[in-house]
Amino acid sequence: MTLTATSLSATSRKPELTLAVIAVVGFVALAIATGGNLLSAGTLEAFFRFLAVPIVIGLSQMVVLAVGQMNLSVGALTGFCAMAAAWLMLEAGLPAPIAVLAALALGLAVGLANGILVVLTRINGFIVTLATMTIIQGLRYGVNGPDTFQGYSEGLRAFGRASILGLPAVFLVAIAVAVLVGLYFSRTVSGRKLLASGGSPFAARLSGISNDRSLITAHGLSGLLAGVAAVITVAASGSVNATIGDDLLLPSFAAPIIGGVALTGGMVSVTGTVLAAFLVRLVDVMQAQFGINPRWVDLIIGAVVLGAVLLGTVRQKLQKGST
Amino acid sequence: MLVAEKLVKTFPGVRALDGANLTLRPGSVHALLGENGAGKSTLVKLLTGVYRPDGGRILSDGAELQFGGPLDAQKAGIGVVHQERNLIPAFSVGENIVLHHLPGRAGWLDKQRMRAEARRCLELLEVDLDPDMPVSRLSVAQGQLVEIAKALSLDSKVLLLDEPTASLTGDEADRLYSVVRRLRDSGHAVVLVSHKLEEVFAVADTVTVLRDGRSVAEAEPLEGHTQSQIVDLMVGRAFASIELARHPVDASQTPALRLSDVATGLGHQDINLSVRPGEILGLYGLVGAGRSELAKAVLGLERITAGTVEIHGKPARIRNVGEALRRYRLGYVTEDRKDEGLFLEQPVTRNIAVTVWRRLAKAGFVPDRRERALAATYVERLGIRVSTPQQLAGQLSGGNQQKVSLAKWLAAECDVLIVDEPTVGIDVRTKAAFHELIAGLAAEGLALLLISSDLPETVVLADRIAVMSELRIVGELDNDHDYQRMSQQIIRLIHAEPSNPGTLRPTES
Repeated sequence: MTLTATSLSATSRKPELTLAVIAVVGFVALAIATGGNLLSAGTLEAFFRFLAVPIVIGLSQMVVLAVGQMNLSVGALTGFCAMAAAWLMLEAGLPAPIAVLAALALGLAVGLANGILVVLTRINGFIVTLATMTIIQGLRYGVNGPDTFQGYSEGLRAFGRASILGLPAVFLVAIAVAVLVGLYFSRTVSGRKLLASGGSPFAARLSGISNDRSLITAHGLSGLLAGVAAVITVAASGSVNATIGDDLLLPSFAAPIIGGVALTGGMVSVTGTVLAAFLVRLVDVMQAQFGINPRWVDLIIGAVVLGAVLLGTVRQKLQKGST
Repeated sequence: MLVAEKLVKTFPGVRALDGANLTLRPGSVHALLGENGAGKSTLVKLLTGVYRPDGGRILSDGAELQFGGPLDAQKAGIGVVHQERNLIPAFSVGENIVLHHLPGRAGWLDKQRMRAEARRCLELLEVDLDPDMPVSRLSVAQGQLVEIAKALSLDSKVLLLDEPTASLTGDEADRLYSVVRRLRDSGHAVVLVSHKLEEVFAVADTVTVLRDGRSVAEAEPLEGHTQSQIVDLMVGRAFASIELARHPVDASQTPALRLSDVATGLGHQDINLSVRPGEILGLYGLVGAGRSELAKAVLGLERITAGTVEIHGKPARIRNVGEALRRYRLGYVTEDRKDEGLFLEQPVTRNIAVTVWRRLAKAGFVPDRRERALAATYVERLGIRVSTPQQLAGQLSGGNQQKVSLAKWLAAECDVLIVDEPTVGIDVRTKAAFHELIAGLAAEGLALLLISSDLPETVVLADRIAVMSELRIVGELDNDHDYQRMSQQIIRLIHAEPSNPGTLRPTES
């Protein structure tokens, strides 16, 4: 994969290589430990099918981290968009393609609203998105209560179950999105401006780059990606209820942070984020295979995230020391 | 031809520029000189659209220019390399050079054009660098050249360089200046802001000197002037000094604070300083000379790698401010009172008592009554103007805030004080009152190390003056309070090339 948006920065390649090695070793070890069960067609497919959302949600967080912001509303927004799509199909009777577009548009709109709020109020993005997260959660329950939507578009659910060359279609969608995000940061003017604003807002401003526009773009893109995650959820899971997306917040941070993305902004790694999402998924499968208490999984992932942040700090210090 | 006319810029409490003029002709190198705070950087920022002027105008070939932001100035052909480094570390050389106008085709970055454009700018400077190299791998000097290439990337005819050689070695500076000469020969107007007079004389054709926000010399040819004459212009005529009551210092006393051959992790070398009780030692230097950093090293906030610190004749190993305070009665009044000196949202009483909470406390609780009593003492002693001692520190004027920031160390009964830029951002009258206060503390027997970039202040207050430049002490002078003579000597010390740093002793001229 040559998705490294930071292909310019040689130093960021090493953590990705490390992650790739850990991912391969972990996968082989788990395959052996499960007596080859992991490699059976059904298990393998499920493994990749449920990797799609973590990848996209990780990217959704990554694009705001790129400008030095955070988006706490990604999980709630994913759930909200998924619910909206299901509602449009079941209650409004709209065809699936329209519902899908509407879910994406809703994600984009809420993301843009986040960005505009951050720029207009000058309130820290952490607080703004904490507020929008709470509002969205309230809306979700308020509008629909604890109902579960199911039995919507057969075509969409068929897409969710479909496989191409043994790989689930939704996983391929996630990979395609990752490639696009990678190209966005490495090859487009807008993407480079985002990274310039994140890396050094002052220098960016002196170069005539609008940091405000970068913030709004990043939040908008983050919302759009949450919309993509919502569509994948609707297609892959077959039913949608009011709690969907609530458990996505930690994974959304885990993927980019373990993947080596700097919390201070200015540096992204799509490859790292995808690989880290893969690793988190491995831990999940391990839990399922060996019947480990799910609480331990949270503990492990939490600890790994902390460790990754610590490692990032150490790496920065070493780099500073060497120049 | 670019002309700035009667530019005025006011910041809260300070008039940074008060009628500054500048005239730039194509094909010349123009030096912009002035003491600390004379307004050089403000002028540069007005000319490059970072700030907007409050008065006056900027003309290009007779047409008035108005900048809404830095990009407008760039588009008008005015490029700048600011004192601070402004490259995006994760980006390539090429991307940094064309950052103002990243070339795109339908939104996609046109890497071919970016490389070609960057190469063209680099060739203009005759610099051989790969546009694809990340700037994080460049040396400081190479980074400087990339910034110049960036400044020229929009076909700038005017290039402003703010202290371009501050962090370069002699050889690197020479190379930079050969690039500057080449630009001049190709018809550019280059403005050079520098403290290094030797370099200025070697490369510049004309000079503008700023003093107190005004131009006291405008576009004068440098030829025919001596360095002394220029320094005279920078310093101005005799300074009207307030007469402070002076107390003779007993030279036989053991120094209250003494640094011997101190070196720090930040690069300070061979620092030797001493202050006796009742004495004020001025530590003068330009911004960035490393004075505050030295103070922080003494307090244990930075690493001391060699040498000894003695307090009242006994070796001291200070690991943090708490220890400095409680064991050695050494206090540090910070230059940044708003961020480091005060809790702006807290009442004056608490700001003063914070250093002595332990002493005031009864079973872990700090009684309000005791805090108030303590604060009242210092409010009266230092003449702090408050409506009530419960007033929030953030509501006080700058001068009174500074007094509160000082009071907490007096409350802790410190007898050695490091006072860092005590009157920065304070108006002239309050300044005089503050000077009396500091002189009064010395008369009471405190030992004071006064860090200041304000030359008149240093000459008025200090008994002796140590001069720091580039992390070394370049000389120490007995102060006779004759402003004209002292300032001449000090400026020469700073502007002299550090041929033999640390041991340089001035001679009377």
